[in-house]
Amino acid sequence: MRFLSPALLWFLAAAAVPVIVHLINKRRHKTIQWAAMQFLLKATKETRGRKKLRHILILTCRALGIAALALAAARPVVSGLLGWGGGSIDTVVLLLDRSASMEVKPGDGLESRRRSVLEKVRDAMEGLGGARLVLIDSASGTPQEVPSIQDLPDLSAVAPTDTAADFPTLFNRAVEYLSESGGRSEIWFASDLQASNWSPDDERWAAARASLESLPQKPSVRVLSLTGGTAPNASIRILSCRRSGNEAVLDVEVNRGSESRGTSGIPLTTHLNGSRTTGTLTLAGQALRFQKRVPVPEGQETGYGWLSLPGDGNPRDNVAFFAYGPSRPVRTIVVSPPGEAADYLALAAAPPGLGNHEAEVMDAAAFENADLTNRAAIFWADALPTGARAASLSRYLSEGGQVVFFPPGTPADSSFLDMSWQPETEAPGGKYFILGDWNRQDGPLRDSIDGTPVASQRLKAIRRRSPDGDAAVLARWEDGETMLARRVVDHGTAWFLGTRPDYTWSNLADADVLLPVVVRIVSAGADRFDASYLRTVGRDGALPGPGEIRTRLDDYGSPDPANVEHTAGVFRFGERLVALNRPAAEDEPEVITRAVLDDVLAGTRYTLLDQAGQADDPSLSRDVWRAFLIAMLCFLIAEALLCLPKAKAGDDAAGVPRPVSPPPAT
Amino acid sequence: MKYDFLDHDLLSRLGSLPVEARVPMMGNVAGKHRSPHRGSSVEFAEYRKYVAGDDTRRLDWKAFARSDRFYIKEFEADTNLRAYFVVDASGSMNFAGKGESKVSYARRIAASLSYLLVNQGDAAGLSLCTDKLHLEVPPSRRPAHLERIFSTLADLKPSGETGLLGALHTIAEKISQRAFVVILSDLFTDPAALGDALQHLRYRKHDISVFHLMDPLEIGFEFERPHRFVDLEDNTTLVVEPALIADEYRTALRDFLTAVRAKCHDATADYQLITTDTPLEPLLREFLTARLPKSKR
Repeated sequence: MRFLSPALLWFLAAAAVPVIVHLINKRRHKTIQWAAMQFLLKATKETRGRKKLRHILILTCRALGIAALALAAARPVVSGLLGWGGGSIDTVVLLLDRSASMEVKPGDGLESRRRSVLEKVRDAMEGLGGARLVLIDSASGTPQEVPSIQDLPDLSAVAPTDTAADFPTLFNRAVEYLSESGGRSEIWFASDLQASNWSPDDERWAAARASLESLPQKPSVRVLSLTGGTAPNASIRILSCRRSGNEAVLDVEVNRGSESRGTSGIPLTTHLNGSRTTGTLTLAGQALRFQKRVPVPEGQETGYGWLSLPGDGNPRDNVAFFAYGPSRPVRTIVVSPPGEAADYLALAAAPPGLGNHEAEVMDAAAFENADLTNRAAIFWADALPTGARAASLSRYLSEGGQVVFFPPGTPADSSFLDMSWQPETEAPGGKYFILGDWNRQDGPLRDSIDGTPVASQRLKAIRRRSPDGDAAVLARWEDGETMLARRVVDHGTAWFLGTRPDYTWSNLADADVLLPVVVRIVSAGADRFDASYLRTVGRDGALPGPGEIRTRLDDYGSPDPANVEHTAGVFRFGERLVALNRPAAEDEPEVITRAVLDDVLAGTRYTLLDQAGQADDPSLSRDVWRAFLIAMLCFLIAEALLCLPKAKAGDDAAGVPRPVSPPPAT
Repeated sequence: MKYDFLDHDLLSRLGSLPVEARVPMMGNVAGKHRSPHRGSSVEFAEYRKYVAGDDTRRLDWKAFARSDRFYIKEFEADTNLRAYFVVDASGSMNFAGKGESKVSYARRIAASLSYLLVNQGDAAGLSLCTDKLHLEVPPSRRPAHLERIFSTLADLKPSGETGLLGALHTIAEKISQRAFVVILSDLFTDPAALGDALQHLRYRKHDISVFHLMDPLEIGFEFERPHRFVDLEDNTTLVVEPALIADEYRTALRDFLTAVRAKCHDATADYQLITTDTPLEPLLREFLTARLPKSKR
């Protein structure tokens, strides 16, 4: 235990005041000639034991009360993880969050949260004597015993990574480990309580809690919360990267802390194939999404680079890597009988001027022989496919393709993926079907990256066929009927649109709605061909395949060779070029609340060591002045109770017989 | 006034109240108090059979005429009262809390009652006792005798330990005839031994009155600071914090007072616990009134 205001500890000397006052009082006695000495002697004899003890207790309570007040004023904090609850522990299982967000610093010039918690864990473990420390870090997820506690903060197994943390898994691993080892143990969570890392709704928590309950010796659980203020920080990430002719098109998002206000300029450095350019980003709010086009040198098929921000509160989120492949044509298929719908769809899928966009129109019969390889999207404006066409389309969808279905121009009752079209309805004369509401955050009708909405309200239909089946509805007509539905099939997506781009049906063919919808779906379909260049650390495709050798291409920062598989960067896996970035969720500021933590760790009777409000204090400590104030209160109450006079017996205090009380003199 | 413990106004106001004995007295002269013997007063007592040797003048001839038997008609005898004031002269009687000392208060009671007794023709005597001294002024009904009593009281300087018990036994042995024994003391002695002494007096058929004198401070025991208590009798010292032992002190005192009261009651003594801040006139008025026969109250 230590004190934030140790100078006030001098007031501890005041604890001696009651004793000194008592001694002075005892010396300042008054002499009196006394007759009834026999009662005094008897009273003194009877009082000697019990009363003396009571008096000593009163004095002790007074002294301790003053001491507790002085200690509370000195703002005591319990240092270390154990606080006052530490005892003989055989094993400590440390669940360490090594995610990118743990590298944030509580203040300028201070250690990162990860580093400071490791130092405190080391100090606490040294105080535990011979207890074993078993580390389960969020990057590897495997239990490993730490041989030398002293070197804990410098181990490569606790070094920073660009991964996310999965605490439900870590907790399960810890319980599994403890079920195999015996003795008194504790589980320590060291985390910044980032909601994405804790996944509070995950069902694995319940399983882990149940396993914990079944352990023969239930371990204590301590949560080392590393929340609180941080140094100013901005993060950057690349949402998508695709090759478009001689440019790499990057969708970029820059975030800065929620406490940031006003407009500020942030230098943004672009590295591309060894060359570097720096510009200034102007941030008016807390987040900025923009599209950045990076010119690709003539004749270069593949390349890589990164966007970086200057150093700030968290060095792990200041860079976003990208890589691109050769420019390839964006090919689409329009399956429709010849007519307006086919024309407009082909026009929207391959607008004139976009040289690498190609749209091929065919009827359903020709589709059976169509080559679906490298097709970004398929627009199906005919009867829903069946038989070989359906099988071919299902395969395409499973591989990640995008297919948009429009109602057939002629009556047809076929179904695909258990989806079918409802009977055609027509709007009453002089009236139109118009959109009532649509999802502005998700789907092809979402607002643009800069927040501009799609002009969906301009869509007017006189004929419609709503999709029917199990699918997510993203847009509805004003009367509640489905206008746009989505059905996810493995890696692909099937979209169902309730009217045709045909002026006998609606004005969908106008560019207001059809163009953004088609472009977005084509773009999503095309991204899967470029997506292999952009991966997330710790996810699918982020590791070299069999026989592939990992080679790091970028020279950003000082990569740790021991943690290369958990680090972001640009790599070549054999022949593949991959840009690895930290998970997007690591930039999210949302943390779980105490109530959520109570639910997640229900029944574990966990101890929360909260760092909130002490961001500038590198130690992991708990403010315990309240306990001293309560102790003072208890001492004073005890003193008051001890000082209470005994219950009166009879008419007068001691039941002394009354002297005669004659009437007053006349 | 020669003696400041005498209040003539008080005595004149109390003059109308006689000092009565509760038991028949055996005086040596005629007086106003009942005697156990038959005498020549006008108050009829009883008839008894004539026996040889009786004075034939006391035969009731009318009874003889009615019954043909000889009866002697007897009358009550009135005699005087002899009072002994036993004043405790031990050092503890010197204690004075915030007002008058116990000995001073005892002095006023003894002097006042002596005056009233002698004035009504009864004899008053005085006995001062310590463990070393037992000074006696024999009872006398001569007015001039009062001067001796007063001067003895005036010269009284309490010291040493109490000799009350010895004095009471001595008085019980010494006085052959019934008397009125008034004890003025704080009774700081063993209650059992005090009971024996009172029983001794009672055995001798004396009328006993006990004025148990206490200082209000001795009963209340209300002190705020630690005190060094010095015993008035043997100079023993004790430093205590009164607040700590007040309850036990009061309990011990209560037990003592209860025991003393019980012993006095057993000896049919007239017991009164009096604090020295009690006004004297109402105290004496009540005392004297209580002793009056019911017919005279």
